[in-house]
Amino acid sequence: MNEASNPVESNHKPGLQTGRRLAVVSSRDKQQTPSPDALVEMMRQVAQDRDRQAFALLFRYFGPKLKTFFLRWTLSSVAADDLVQETMLTVWRKASYFDAERAGVATWIFTVARNIRIDHLRRQKDPSALPPDAETAMDTVEDGMLDAERDAAVRNALTALSPEQQTIIRLAYFSERSQTEIADELGIPLGTVKSRTRLAMNRLRGLLEDKS
Amino acid sequence: MTTTHHATDETLMRYAAGTLAPAPAIVVRAHLASCPACRARVGEYEALGGALLEETEATQMSATALSDVLAMLDDEDAAAPFTPPPRAPVEIEGIRLPDALRGCDIGRWRWIGPGMKMSRVGVPQDPHANLILLKVGPGRALPDHGHVGTEFTYIVSGSYTDRFGTFGPGDLAEMDEDVDHQPVVDNGDDCICLAAMEGKMRFNNLIGRMLQPIFGI
Ligand SMILES: [Zn+2]
Repeated sequence: MNEASNPVESNHKPGLQTGRRLAVVSSRDKQQTPSPDALVEMMRQVAQDRDRQAFALLFRYFGPKLKTFFLRWTLSSVAADDLVQETMLTVWRKASYFDAERAGVATWIFTVARNIRIDHLRRQKDPSALPPDAETAMDTVEDGMLDAERDAAVRNALTALSPEQQTIIRLAYFSERSQTEIADELGIPLGTVKSRTRLAMNRLRGLLEDKS
Repeated sequence: MTTTHHATDETLMRYAAGTLAPAPAIVVRAHLASCPACRARVGEYEALGGALLEETEATQMSATALSDVLAMLDDEDAAAPFTPPPRAPVEIEGIRLPDALRGCDIGRWRWIGPGMKMSRVGVPQDPHANLILLKVGPGRALPDHGHVGTEFTYIVSGSYTDRFGTFGPGDLAEMDEDVDHQPVVDNGDDCICLAAMEGKMRFNNLIGRMLQPIFGI
């Protein structure tokens, strides 16, 4: 339901194709942090110009972060490297599906990595499964519900949470364990896990709704 | 289709993160197709995933990681451009089912009791998944059960009522393990629903006990 509503043409927006220089927010770090606009410009160059230099910039910025993600998803270092490469190849292949009106670059790449991991788990269980293209890897960003401004609001909300609340949120992203299993592992009552989770979710919802 | 019963935020977050088990994820996806409100929330949680990715620390990759990928781009560009495969509607014996079930192995209806049929759904991502389609006649009770872990039920057609209200097409019921509930199908049509269990089910009555071997308990 997503791919048809996100045509290549939607990347042709005024202001995005002027070929302006990539703005770099911080040039002090060896690992430079590109601004959101600079990332969008790199994606445009990859999608429209098949620009390998822009792709290499995206790879250098996101690759090592994606590796941390795949490691947190309890994969080995070798598997993590492979899946980062697979993720970035998919970014190259499907760059024209990226729509800056609907999602920031980090959000879009996150959904690509998420789908690559789901397909990886599926292939482990069923080696005869179809390659990722045919199924889940197409279901990137839910249709029409995102915009790049929301990404900034979400980022701010995340930093406004307490450390404990951030930990609870991270558990949802990086652990497949149910609340029952988390309670067992932590040796605390299930009710406590539930109420803490609910508090963290409510606080996050409150922050998001304030800002939207 | 107006939906009145929704997924919890924790479930939508785990769906967006890709950490919800395959069978519940299919049930949630069925609901998302008919619920813009929950889709919007999933969008926010995907953005949260993007924010987590940007703030995460880097881990050194192998020295040749980038050059390997750049070398692969030649093959990519030589390959045929990406085109989505054609998609046929998903059905069971002529009844249209949610697109979320695409790729699943859907068998025939099996009689499991008076006015009650069931089809176990095979999930390619998870051979041990507990995902079923139920078709229950008007006025009949759904199998009486409790469960270990959360149960996710999506109403495909018809409706049922339990102590939490009436659940109609497009609605999602998310029941914690400590909840005993007794849904009864409303008058009118058969109620067809798609149900996934995170853990194993335990049944409290005869029909329930008949189901147990099917769930491998
Ligand atoms: Zn909903």
